[in-house]
Amino acid sequence: MGPLIPNGILSQEWNIIIAVLIGLAFGFILEASGFSSSRKLAGVFYGYDFAVLKVFFTAALVSVIGLYYMDYLGWINMSMLYVHPTYLWAAIVGGAIMGIGFVAGGFCPGTSICAVAIGKLDAWVYVLGIMIGVLVFSEAFGTFESIYNDTNLGNITLVDSLGLPASWIILAVTVIALIAFFISDVVRKRVKKVFY
Amino acid sequence: MKANKKNRHVYWNPYFGGFLLGLLIIFTFYMTGRGLGASGVMKSGVVTMVDQVSHEHTLNNAYYKKFVSGDKSPMNNWLVFETLGVLAGAFLSGSLAGRIGFRVQHSPKITVKRRLVFALLGGILFGFGAQIARGCTSGAALSGMAVLSTGGFITMLSIFGTAFLFAYFFRKNWI
Amino acid sequence: MINRKLAKILSKRYIILASLLLIAALGLVLLPSYQKNENITAENLLAKVINPERYITSDVLADNIITNDPSIILVDVREVDEYTAYTLPNAINIPLSDILNEDYQGYLDQDRYNIILFSNENFKADQAWLLLNRLGYSNLHVLNGGINGWYHTILNPPKPTEDMANEAFELYNFRRAAGLYFGVGIKAKEKKVVKKVVKKVVPKPKKKKRKPEGGC
Repeated sequence: MGPLIPNGILSQEWNIIIAVLIGLAFGFILEASGFSSSRKLAGVFYGYDFAVLKVFFTAALVSVIGLYYMDYLGWINMSMLYVHPTYLWAAIVGGAIMGIGFVAGGFCPGTSICAVAIGKLDAWVYVLGIMIGVLVFSEAFGTFESIYNDTNLGNITLVDSLGLPASWIILAVTVIALIAFFISDVVRKRVKKVFY
Repeated sequence: MKANKKNRHVYWNPYFGGFLLGLLIIFTFYMTGRGLGASGVMKSGVVTMVDQVSHEHTLNNAYYKKFVSGDKSPMNNWLVFETLGVLAGAFLSGSLAGRIGFRVQHSPKITVKRRLVFALLGGILFGFGAQIARGCTSGAALSGMAVLSTGGFITMLSIFGTAFLFAYFFRKNWI
Repeated sequence: MINRKLAKILSKRYIILASLLLIAALGLVLLPSYQKNENITAENLLAKVINPERYITSDVLADNIITNDPSIILVDVREVDEYTAYTLPNAINIPLSDILNEDYQGYLDQDRYNIILFSNENFKADQAWLLLNRLGYSNLHVLNGGINGWYHTILNPPKPTEDMANEAFELYNFRRAAGLYFGVGIKAKEKKVVKKVVKKVVPKPKKKKRKPEGGC
């Protein structure tokens, strides 16, 4: 019942084995869907390849619907799952900086690790850049501490902030996603079909 | 170079990949109660290296202090083991499809050096931003959306919104 | 051009998949919401209520206190003023109105110590017992007769008449000895100094459910 390891049904030592297995599947899926290619990732911003949109939204939808059905059937206890905390300004500012980094480098950390594994040198440089970025942030932590710790709203979910029941939110996101899929296929630009 | 059959193995249908990824996230939550993540391993790496160089510096710095505890090394972290798996899995998939090889992937219109410079810049910015927002696209956005967390949604909208806005300035690199 | 594109994305399989997803999401909306019952069912609760094993008599309790049984916690569920007026030695006070307070769950929600609830009679203690059982706690007992019963058996035991069995006399002697231990003589007027006993500090042995960690 519920998340198995926090409930003690599986012991803590399994955590490491499961982490490796999950990472294995994660890397396999990402690479096989083509996310180790920076040109494919940046394609969503220029309108020539919408793989990011499709994979992202499909994964989010499938996982949300699946988790809520399991919660209904009593197989999982939703209150014990880790909810990412909401720091309002930190999320917006950090997200903005990350967006520029994404479109400049064409990778995000998860996909860059996949690209590292298949030998892309620009991914190696990207990972190096991330480490330098972390170093710069921690050394200059004093100046950014106010933004970092600002407005902690806690581990809230959309159900709390919008006040709607969860199923309506999921339905709305599903409809938006389906419309986005449709539009992305219609709009897809006529770029020379290259394998990248 | 057309995408012909005798060329490398084609990628999966993105809907199929997304579906499998969704199942994987459900499995992860069911087993461990937490979602995936990727940028945490780089942070752990940096903290370990700084720790090796000078231990007092980590204790003095307000940010490192949170991740260095007396007994456990900061690399003894769920994300590090997951990353090992990601490396192995991507290598497996790449080798099955024949995509392994040292190369720099860049648009034919720019040089290798320019691509590498932009990769470095992008990495620095991303690492910086990921520390402020406490997550990256896999950790905050994907796993955050799976539990309908507000922070995850805000981070995702912010990342993609800004990227769309600034895409114009980097168009020479990609198109 | 556009027609060929539309023909591709509206091909049968994508429509089927999209509608499957939509039906799944709709199903989640239309599912009847019900009160998830994670606690004890009514049948289980009835079985426990009927079972008189939860009652502990004053004699057994006196014996436990005198021999300093370390595995019990006495919980007084009366109000604060009644508690300060008179209570059993080493009892902690959790008024019935306050029993769901977070601070007390450390004492109540654990399986190492036996909790013995008591009040003036059985009534409030039984109510507390029912509530805590509904929450799924274990090791709960009720002092049969409460403080009043305690007074009438231990502090002021009825003297047996000559035609009663031998056990009755032994019980009477035991009760008198216990009454002396608890510092109150047979005559209620004698105000002996009640031994000031140190309040047993219960270390919070609550079995914490591990909160999952998370991160970027």
